[in-house]
Amino acid sequence: MSGRPVNPRDPAEPGRGGRRMDAALRLLDHQLVDRDGRLCGKVDDLELERRDDGTLVVTAVLTGPGALGPRLPGVLGRATVAVWRRLHGDAEPGASRIPFERVAGIDSAVRLTMSRAEVPTYGLERWARDNVVEKLPGAGNAPE
Amino acid sequence: MKRIFSVALGVLTAIGGFVDIGDLVTNALVGARFGLSLAWVVVVGVLGIVVFAEMSGRVAAITGRATFDLVRERLGPRAGLLNLAGSMAVTGLTFIAEIGGVALALELVSSVHYLLLVPFTGLAVWLVLWRVRFSTLENVFGLLGLALVVFGFAVWQLGPDWGSLLDQATRPSVPGSEGVPTYWYYAVALFGAAMTPYEVFFFSSGGVEEHWTEKDLGTSRLNVFVGFPLGGVLSIFIASSTALVLLPAGIEVDTLGQVGLPVSEALGRVGIAIALLGFFAATFGAACETGLSVGYSVSQYFGWQWGKYVRPRQAALFHVVLLVSTIAGVAVLLTTVDPIKVTEYSVVFSAVALPLTYFPILVVANDPDYMGEKVNGRLANGLGQVYLVLVTLAALAAIPLMLLTKAGQ
Repeated sequence: MSGRPVNPRDPAEPGRGGRRMDAALRLLDHQLVDRDGRLCGKVDDLELERRDDGTLVVTAVLTGPGALGPRLPGVLGRATVAVWRRLHGDAEPGASRIPFERVAGIDSAVRLTMSRAEVPTYGLERWARDNVVEKLPGAGNAPE
Repeated sequence: MKRIFSVALGVLTAIGGFVDIGDLVTNALVGARFGLSLAWVVVVGVLGIVVFAEMSGRVAAITGRATFDLVRERLGPRAGLLNLAGSMAVTGLTFIAEIGGVALALELVSSVHYLLLVPFTGLAVWLVLWRVRFSTLENVFGLLGLALVVFGFAVWQLGPDWGSLLDQATRPSVPGSEGVPTYWYYAVALFGAAMTPYEVFFFSSGGVEEHWTEKDLGTSRLNVFVGFPLGGVLSIFIASSTALVLLPAGIEVDTLGQVGLPVSEALGRVGIAIALLGFFAATFGAACETGLSVGYSVSQYFGWQWGKYVRPRQAALFHVVLLVSTIAGVAVLLTTVDPIKVTEYSVVFSAVALPLTYFPILVVANDPDYMGEKVNGRLANGLGQVYLVLVTLAALAAIPLMLLTKAGQ
């Protein structure tokens, strides 16, 4: 997973398999930003695949409690995953996955080509919007 | 002309916004017990907040990332979450103290018991967080906070022996009536009050709110380099005024009214009216800043959309955090806990939490991949490292000193 660090402002290095970078430092725990500039979660974990030549490539960004939970210690981590499973529609939900093809760029944040409503973990934010914030007086026309 | 106006406005709000309930109470209390023999701590603390606020503002302007983004990135989810819990405990405590401070200031004006005013105060703070523009919030309370300059006039009007004041400040010694551990306990408290972590959370997130870019670095630095030190001067005026009036009379400060006593002694009713306006603005502004800091930090850890630069419905979880923490703050105050005591503890626990905040900022400000040409220079790094040692020492000493002195008795 480690390679020599690359200046994130450089255009992607051409060549097989795209860019080499220190994924733990430059990707993990970074901010996700959608195509409209809205913040939409963190890179809570990464999905890696080993190529035939032995190199590791990042195939997807994992986000949300399903990805964060296993990285938290002890009871807290297990509880995070348990709550995530209970609230999720599927019986055995894995971590929410954003294929790496949907990543448009990496600078101080990881920029996506999708809108945040399409990010699988938008549910909690949507719930808070519809059930709390929209019910409060003045939500419709509050100034920016 | 417009440019000069906006720069001047920024500096003025930085001065007025610097002082909060922690600075008010701790400086007044220390002045009344130790004279100016601890003024040097304010100077050291202000230089520290200047160094780290400049760094965090620079990182925010260049990368668009605020302080808790950096904490999460560099410390990872585990240590980051511990850091979040510690920092939010302290910032939450400060938030409670500020809401209590607003209610106490209103009690002094209205003679209505402060507990009756707490729910109303909480509602007012929440309404401002919910509806008022970020820049309006910052400018209005910052400018009104300048009313605290009245402490400077009060000191001047009291006609002190300036030579002896300067002597106390420049050749500090522990007053005969106080023990050495107590002296150092209050040194840590003053240091914590000057360097409170929320100031950096708020300053860096505020930079993102106001869409700072590299072009705004000059303005940001001017605010920090001029505004914060002048805010520190206000703090020293407050300590001087109680040193002149309360110390000789043997009065200790345990209420907000006593903080204002020297002003009414020196300048009468008009003076105290202006001081009360200053108390109200300083605590209300800081209540908004600490409340926002809680929302900013939690949202930044989890990656939620935060900020007042988008409509509330677009930052729903952020606004839920603001609402819940305001309700919790009001609930704690309604247990009849003494807001002044909460303030005293909040500044000491601030000192404990300082390294948590300042370490990740120093690391990222040194990362050339992130910061390009704007990485820390030698001066910023030298000072940053010295202060990292200082805040660690203060953090380690805080709790033992608190136990040893029974919280400064």
